[in-house]
Amino acid sequence: MKLLGPLLLALIAAVPIGAALWAVGAQLLDAQAWHALWADPQTLRAWGMTMWTGLASTALVWFTLAHVLASGFIRQQLGRWLSRVPALLATPHAAMAIGLVLWLSPSGWALRLVSPGLTGFDAPPPWFTTQDPWGLGLILALWLKEVPFLLWVAATQMQREDLRRRWQAEYALAQTLGRTPAQAFAHIVWPQLAPRLRWPLLAVLAYGLTVVDMALIIGPATPPTLAVLAWQRLSDADLLTQSQGVVAAGWLTGTLLVACVVTGWLVGAAPSRRMLGHGKRLKLAAATRLPKAVFLSVWPSNGMWTTILTTYIAVWFALTVGSVSGVWPFPQVWPELWTLNAWQQVASSARTVWTTLGLGVASASVCLLWSVAWLELAPRRWQQAMQPWFLLPLVLPSVLWVVGLYSLALHTRLEGQWLGLSLAHAVMVLPYVLLALVPAYQAVDPRQAALVASLGHGRWVYLWRVKWPLLKRAIASAWAVGFAVSVAQYLPTLYVGAGRFATVTTEAVTLAAGAQRSLMSAYAALQMLLPIAAFALAAWLGRPRRFEKIAPMKATP
Amino acid sequence: MHFNKTTTAATSSVGLNRRQTLGVLAATAMPAWAQTPASSWAETLRAARGQTVYFNAWAGSERINAYLQWAAAELQRDFGIQLQHVKISDAADVVKRVRAEKQAGRKDTEGTVDLIWINGENFAAMKQGGLLSAPFAANLPNFQWVDAVGKPTTLVDFSVPTDGLESPWGMAQLTFFADAKRLPQLPQSMNELLALARSQPGRITYPRPPNFHGTTFVKQALIEHAPDVKALAQPVTAAALEAQAAPLWRFLDALHPHLWRGGKQFPQNSAAVRQMMADGELVMALTFNPNEAANEIAAKRLPATVQSWQFAKGTIGNTHFVAIPYNAPSKAGAQVVANFLLSPAAQARKADIDVWGDPTVLDVARLPAAERARFQSTPHAGQVSHSAPALPEPHASWVDALEKEWTRRYGV
Repeated sequence: MKLLGPLLLALIAAVPIGAALWAVGAQLLDAQAWHALWADPQTLRAWGMTMWTGLASTALVWFTLAHVLASGFIRQQLGRWLSRVPALLATPHAAMAIGLVLWLSPSGWALRLVSPGLTGFDAPPPWFTTQDPWGLGLILALWLKEVPFLLWVAATQMQREDLRRRWQAEYALAQTLGRTPAQAFAHIVWPQLAPRLRWPLLAVLAYGLTVVDMALIIGPATPPTLAVLAWQRLSDADLLTQSQGVVAAGWLTGTLLVACVVTGWLVGAAPSRRMLGHGKRLKLAAATRLPKAVFLSVWPSNGMWTTILTTYIAVWFALTVGSVSGVWPFPQVWPELWTLNAWQQVASSARTVWTTLGLGVASASVCLLWSVAWLELAPRRWQQAMQPWFLLPLVLPSVLWVVGLYSLALHTRLEGQWLGLSLAHAVMVLPYVLLALVPAYQAVDPRQAALVASLGHGRWVYLWRVKWPLLKRAIASAWAVGFAVSVAQYLPTLYVGAGRFATVTTEAVTLAAGAQRSLMSAYAALQMLLPIAAFALAAWLGRPRRFEKIAPMKATP
Repeated sequence: MHFNKTTTAATSSVGLNRRQTLGVLAATAMPAWAQTPASSWAETLRAARGQTVYFNAWAGSERINAYLQWAAAELQRDFGIQLQHVKISDAADVVKRVRAEKQAGRKDTEGTVDLIWINGENFAAMKQGGLLSAPFAANLPNFQWVDAVGKPTTLVDFSVPTDGLESPWGMAQLTFFADAKRLPQLPQSMNELLALARSQPGRITYPRPPNFHGTTFVKQALIEHAPDVKALAQPVTAAALEAQAAPLWRFLDALHPHLWRGGKQFPQNSAAVRQMMADGELVMALTFNPNEAANEIAAKRLPATVQSWQFAKGTIGNTHFVAIPYNAPSKAGAQVVANFLLSPAAQARKADIDVWGDPTVLDVARLPAAERARFQSTPHAGQVSHSAPALPEPHASWVDALEKEWTRRYGV
């Protein structure tokens, strides 16, 4: 009887995911489409480009994360830095790409500032600075977008009162034993933190390998990445071309799964706790993980973090000017004509904000309730066994999910209805919420529960007065992440909603089909607004308790 | 109506002959599906009252969206129909949705789409897949004003007969635009374009096929270079492709080294080309709407010195349509909307550059004087000054063959 609850919960989440997968799987068994895919000379090159951009950006993100966390932790500035992360996180991927193009393209601001004065150019030079054939622009854009995401997840760990205190103490201890601050962080804190970030890292990897919108704007074009190729095929009216798109997405998924397994093994092989007290093994493990230089202060003071922040500010500034720009010929530094046209458009579609808000709140809340219930009720073994299954929507390309979710909605007659749409959003949101919660849950010290029980209190007292307050930061940020993910959904909203539910994202994407720079910039701002509000709310709800003011063990409110 | 008009003084005998042929074909084909009794229109109007029509239409332009808002207000007032603009970025998505609904066994009134804005390969796919409702176009009272002879593409969509399954809405023709300050001498053919590319290397490009503007550019070059243009109206064969396209590949081989980024890279779409033209990275851009440059000038996104033109011997032209899926719940309402969109008032408003600037499908000369007067408009900066003949699209099957071969040669 005790297992009935978790069993039901597992079914609720697993059945839609399984059904959607089944619908996709049936379409993958198409020999003709596979043959056409292999006969296409673009496939292999596109696949190579995908591997390069996805793996390179993920590796860069990982090293940067280690470096930023190290310098922030050592300088005790992490808390201050992290307060700025939500704004970075809320910047839509496409907006980042547009902003970078505004700076870097041959007609971009970087060159306008020094032309014709220094360069002598009175027309943009024939340089490959955007959509470069080496994918460097895409790697840069991915790097800028994903570092804040991992930082945010790491923050939910490092700012938990119990972990923070423990790690600070251990870090101090390592220094009394003669380690430099960088060594102490690398040998003590990082090895305990890194395995907890394994799944978020896989999400970053999956995103890097399957991203479409960013790759379209700033990625290589000849050939494009495999995800772009699959997406282009899938949006063709011709049936054979479509099925070629499905198998291309399937091939991408296979690649992704292999890459995830390898990366997961590299990062999270050794459990952190066991390593404490085994100095030798610890040193070895840390050394194999990251090159030493990552932790050393190769950058002056807060260099890396300052660079990232500055780039974001530059991108926002470019988007702001872009959104009111009219005619703007090279090499003029400022637009020749200004127009508020784009903002008038944004204002006129304000009602889509309510639809977006409703869907986001509903799906994020449902997923949060489910995740908390699941993590509380399910035996740990179940959670470990089922987790990869629940996280599937995270790693499979969204073009594939849409195929499955939509056919599921059709068979249950839920398409074009609010219920069906919010459930589809929930499937996409669930892995992110779960991902944001699991590390915090795993880190809960089981002795606390025993302690509370030994004091004669029941389970609810433990949950309400000890565990959940400790986890409230993680819970609040999980909800905010879920909300942001719901806001960003385009294809599921279009298909399962039969186009009848206009959200800020569907509005932005359909208008972006006309590719007017001012309009795209303005809509990027609107898309940012809602997630920023959610993250601000989460930060406020999850602000740390002031333990100093409360007498220990007498935690009466 | 000052653009896109098929001039009788066409300089291209090839274009004229083919158009005449098509026109005759269309005129003889018409009665086959145009014989439904017209008396039922009153019934349709009655049934339509109170219906909601979900119109799935590309929404990438604020002008188009505003025009549809106006149409929705008119339809509500005059016919009691609620027109809902379902904003989409690609009609192929809608085709896929209707196909999925059919595969899921949805019956005749159990769909989610009442009307779709469509043409070309999307229409061909829906027609072939049996995804459209019964022929309706000829039953629409306003269909009588459509210029089926002067604009044969109103009945033949990319060489596929419409058979009344879609109702024409507007005209499109491949049009180029450039800033006269930077490009005083406008190329009038693909060969002149090649000469221009040689003199200004890196300043010209076209979107990467299978983007449809890019494919259209290639098709335009094909029509200008093919040894036998008539062969292009027939379904493609390996032999025909080899014979007709050989000069095309020679032309592109010569052109590409002088294009933007050495022809090793191509932009994703025409909007990217337009943006680069506006920024000064390119000297010319292309579009399917002859009034796009005028629109962009009005929106302050292009300087007033930009002008539009079509090649002297003609450029590829086609028509866009509205169609009703087989499972539309509000079929009567959808027909009334299609008829309203064809009305002289709606067509004139659509053709007005200050509103949208989409050329009409009607034969303005045949309209009653009062209706004809609606189509008067003042000239705008950036408009096409001398409209060239509209050349018919090659048969729809050429698209895929050309795109595949293009990708094999230049896309990797």
